[in-house]
Amino acid sequence: MTAVAVHQFAQCITCHAWSPDHSMVAFCPNNNEIHIYRSSEDKWERVHILYKHDQIVSGIDWSAKSNKLVTVSHDRNSYVWSQEASEWVPTLVILRLNRAALCVQWSPKENKFAVGSGAKTVCICYYEQENNWWVSKLIRKKHDSSVTSVAWHPDNILLATTSTDGKCRVFSTFIKGVDTRDSGASLASDAKFGEQIIQLDLSFSWAFGVKWSPSGNTLAYVGHNSTIYFVDDVGPSPLAQNVAFQDLPLRDVLFVSEKMVIGVGFDCNPMLFGADERGIWGFVKFLDERKIAPSTSKYGSQFSEAFGKLYGQKQVGNDAVESSKPRGGVHENCINCILPLEKTGDGRVKRFSTSGLDGKVVIWDLEDQEDILSYS
Amino acid sequence: MANTLRSYLACIRNTLEAAMCLQNFPCQEVERHNKPEVELKTSSELLLNPVLICRNEAEKCLIETSINSLRISIKVKQADELENILTKKFLRFLSMRAEAFQVLRRKPVQGYDISFLITNYHCEDMQKHKLIDFIVQFMEDIDKEISELKMSVNTRGRLVATEFLKQFV
Repeated sequence: MTAVAVHQFAQCITCHAWSPDHSMVAFCPNNNEIHIYRSSEDKWERVHILYKHDQIVSGIDWSAKSNKLVTVSHDRNSYVWSQEASEWVPTLVILRLNRAALCVQWSPKENKFAVGSGAKTVCICYYEQENNWWVSKLIRKKHDSSVTSVAWHPDNILLATTSTDGKCRVFSTFIKGVDTRDSGASLASDAKFGEQIIQLDLSFSWAFGVKWSPSGNTLAYVGHNSTIYFVDDVGPSPLAQNVAFQDLPLRDVLFVSEKMVIGVGFDCNPMLFGADERGIWGFVKFLDERKIAPSTSKYGSQFSEAFGKLYGQKQVGNDAVESSKPRGGVHENCINCILPLEKTGDGRVKRFSTSGLDGKVVIWDLEDQEDILSYS
Repeated sequence: MANTLRSYLACIRNTLEAAMCLQNFPCQEVERHNKPEVELKTSSELLLNPVLICRNEAEKCLIETSINSLRISIKVKQADELENILTKKFLRFLSMRAEAFQVLRRKPVQGYDISFLITNYHCEDMQKHKLIDFIVQFMEDIDKEISELKMSVNTRGRLVATEFLKQFV
């Protein structure tokens, strides 16, 4: 596995999103700004900075067909940005939230987007032509804690959410006048807006990073107890599988194909999970080969100077227990965002990108991986 | 070094490795706030079970974790009254200068001698493994420091006593 490109854009990146043609990347450098970089001949140059939010931006999504950016922030607001000439023009979306917005995603048809919030609600926003206005409808009183992640089913109706109460829920988001009944989803065929289809209570700890497989048959999400959950046949009788691993918890997942999932998180190294021919999921391998970095100093705390002064004496080496090693991978801090980049004809993800608290955006290539072909 | 100390510190290090998985998390209760949940304790579901690591009755370490913050409270060994007063004075001296250390808490948690508060912002600015190294190194040094202070107090006491008694010779 190779990281094809590593770009250090900022000190710290909370989330990122790619333009439809992947020539531009938008990210939040852990503050209230959104930076947009364009690649030109191997170099990245900053083309726009979007200032509108006044607290940290927690979610960005760039729609593939309509080329619109949606951003949400801890300041409880959301903006839809559309490009006119060379400028990005914001449209305020009144979310009617009284707590921070945490995550956002465009629906597959891009006529709606979903916002998860710290107010224990989910907002479904859609465009009203006659008023030239984004309208927000709320799913209230279904979550017991903050909504950490949202994911749209390919049918454009079902929405999966994860929450810090440890549950994963699936809702119908059918909106009259926006959606049509013939979208063919058997599950959501007669469900009203905000109706809970299923509640999955698998995790003992906070749940994050929910995603649907490309066909919408499988749902994957992660728990903070270092477990990843796979749910098949979402509906009245779901089939759930738990895969526990021994490393630090994950934050987000990505379906590479129907049978392959990549998880990223606090271990700073993408993990590959695959399903065998019987449909049993398991951990396959880490994607980043780690180089064990030699420890440079015996006493490597950033406080050593302060301590040296305070103690007024020479520091002694740390001989009690061997000090923790830097991880020596591409990412040096928690990875909290993973996005697909290029897809092959049959919908498999060939390349993907990750960003993390170390401020890097890393592009990974999945080709020439003989050992993972058996899972595809 | 005593073997028990080694395993005590190794245990703390491993617990911290696992516990220091923090993320930015805005307050659910108060609008536009973002505070360490381990201090506020407003939502029970955002707290994890606290871990208490004891070397013996006198020396223990409490690690409390929440979604965006982590509190480490340490009780330092105090064998006699002199050590007690030295520890108190020395850790008070450090706590008064808490800003200089960033992760130090101004007041220790009740029942403990010194507390650290690590939030997601510290994890964003600093490297996790170095933060852990710092805590472990601190715990290792504090015992050494206290015993050295005690020794120097004793030496000085003996010196003073000798000088004082010289006049009676």
